[in-house]
Amino acid sequence: MKVIDINNLTKIYNGSEVMVKAVNNISLSFEQGEFAAIVGPSGSGKTTLLNMIGGLDKPTEGEILVGGTNIGGLSASKLIDFRLKNIGFVFQAYNLIPVLTAKENVEFIMELQGKSRLERDERSIALLSAVGLGERVNARPAKLSGGQQQRVAVARALASKPKFVLADEPTANLDSKSTETLLDIMEELNKKENITFIFSTHDQRVVNKARRVITVEDGCVVSDEKRN
Amino acid sequence: MIWNISWKNVWRNRSRSIVVICAVTLGTISGVFVAGLMKGWVDQRIHSAIHTEVSHIKIQNPEYLNNEELKHTVPNYNKIEAYLNNSPEIKAWTKHTKIIAMASTSRGNTALAIKGINPEEEKAISDVYTKIVDNGGDYFESGFKNPIVISEKTADQLRLINYIISQELLDSLSRLGADENLVNSLNQVKDQRFITEKKFKAELELILKPSEIKEFGANIMKLAKNYKIRSKVRFTFTDMDGEMVQKSFRVCGIYKTTNTMFDQMNAFIRTDDIAELAGFQNSDCHEIMIILNNEKDENVKLFRDNLKSKFGETNVMSWKELAPDAGMMADFMSMYYYMIMGVIFFALAFGIINTMLMAVLERIKELGMLMAVGMNKKRVFNMIMLETIFLTIVGSIAGMILGGSLIGIFGKVGMNFASVQEGFEAFGWSAMVYPNIEISFFFGVTLMVIVVAIFSSIIPARKALKLNPVEALRTE
Repeated sequence: MKVIDINNLTKIYNGSEVMVKAVNNISLSFEQGEFAAIVGPSGSGKTTLLNMIGGLDKPTEGEILVGGTNIGGLSASKLIDFRLKNIGFVFQAYNLIPVLTAKENVEFIMELQGKSRLERDERSIALLSAVGLGERVNARPAKLSGGQQQRVAVARALASKPKFVLADEPTANLDSKSTETLLDIMEELNKKENITFIFSTHDQRVVNKARRVITVEDGCVVSDEKRN
Repeated sequence: MIWNISWKNVWRNRSRSIVVICAVTLGTISGVFVAGLMKGWVDQRIHSAIHTEVSHIKIQNPEYLNNEELKHTVPNYNKIEAYLNNSPEIKAWTKHTKIIAMASTSRGNTALAIKGINPEEEKAISDVYTKIVDNGGDYFESGFKNPIVISEKTADQLRLINYIISQELLDSLSRLGADENLVNSLNQVKDQRFITEKKFKAELELILKPSEIKEFGANIMKLAKNYKIRSKVRFTFTDMDGEMVQKSFRVCGIYKTTNTMFDQMNAFIRTDDIAELAGFQNSDCHEIMIILNNEKDENVKLFRDNLKSKFGETNVMSWKELAPDAGMMADFMSMYYYMIMGVIFFALAFGIINTMLMAVLERIKELGMLMAVGMNKKRVFNMIMLETIFLTIVGSIAGMILGGSLIGIFGKVGMNFASVQEGFEAFGWSAMVYPNIEISFFFGVTLMVIVVAIFSSIIPARKALKLNPVEALRTE
């Protein structure tokens, strides 16, 4: 089942002196349960593509259909609501709320969704246990290592039961061991919960784990390789 | 959860928040205390206006207001008396005769309104009997003929006060810690009589060092003051027939209220002592003073209107009309207290806005993340607004508790503005103030704090709402 359908997507940035075509007429689709990596050198357009899929940036041309909805046509407020219900985000710099505990960081998204306290409690503890932090639920981000923080971010991304998770360079700030652990956890969750994961990365370790690798250069898809 | 985040965000930069909270606390303490002080003054002024000067309601002959001739007595007195005696709303009432007279002694003279009263009835209406100064005689208790109670101000104008360094004064000073040199210096003028305050002060400056005057001057002045009780004062006035008549009274008591104007004008005699000479009949009076059981403004107005409709031939006025300064204060002061708080909070709002702007600018990336993951604008606004309310309300609650405690302490012990006493009393204000505040004022201040916090959160919140999540997430 198609989760995301991208048709002729183009993004042009109009600078003061030059016009930059960050994404150039890309068409792609993602199925339920994919574990895909978008790779390419810096400035190739992979983050811009990810931002548009996540509804954070508006395309200049083309359409992005998520579950049949063209998110490019949604108003800003509807887009926020759409993101809350359908998309999980994992950022390079973790971006946890420093004043909240690991559990509260995970619960927070569910609170925005209006979930009950009981459901929030159960799911946040289950997710933190799934990412190996069952013992650190009450720790604040400052007390966690970079790898642990990113695992909390993954748990947070999954808390809202999204249709897919977008992870922008999730391993860029992590050491090898933390990267390995994080990727194993994400792969396991992907299989267990059948949630689509899409990474933007130039980390070879992520590429090696991915079951689909899309290479982007100069805003265009130059290869789209599916692995078993 | 938003409440939880907002509260925790307040303490993210602890020292900065504490500085703002301290500023709000100090501002609130000052505002609450100044309001309490003002209310203490106003309440005392109103109490003094009603219970010393004019009572709740006064009935007069309308003609008397234009021309204070003795013949303009209250019309239909017997009917009014019967009505007042059967009115359950009334706590006490009495009648006055009032004669404008020239008072003179061998050394001074002044114009006065001599009020003919029944001293026992008067005690239920006016508290002047409690204002007799130390060593100033009594309130019609001495047995001598034709007694009069005059104010200290009048006694001064009639030169009925002199200053004497007595042995008793020297003993008192020794008990107060005055050294032997000071006592010896004063001994030089012992038992010498100084007829004016000015001359006595000049003598003290000659025989005492400035440091001794600074330390003991006020006590010496107070202890040396000698009122010439039983002195004769001659009054000249026109009787009911317009004929000039004279009569002498002896000073039995000297009073002092907190209103110099009132003191300067009023002296009290027994009505019976002047009735025959002035030509008053038993029912003649120039003003009827009424104190009601229920002091509430609407009740006073209602009873005044009732009297007006029943006795249209008279002039009936409430205390607000008789003492318009106190009336105006009663009507507008509560608004004035809120204006004081408003000005303080308006100034504080700039500090709060600045702090919240810094808090928002420091968290651009985090706010970008929140918007990216699905926190809508309303929630972002609420989060920043709650943060501002928490920041403000913590300081204001602390300020209200401390300000309220200060009012509680000074409300009991009082604050003495003795150095400016004369100036205050010229306007009818007491120099000894007992601050007080109503509980409802604190509810009003809390509401103001919330309004100020919401107002202060608008600019920082707008700044946050204008953020583009993608750009915000890129910031370092």
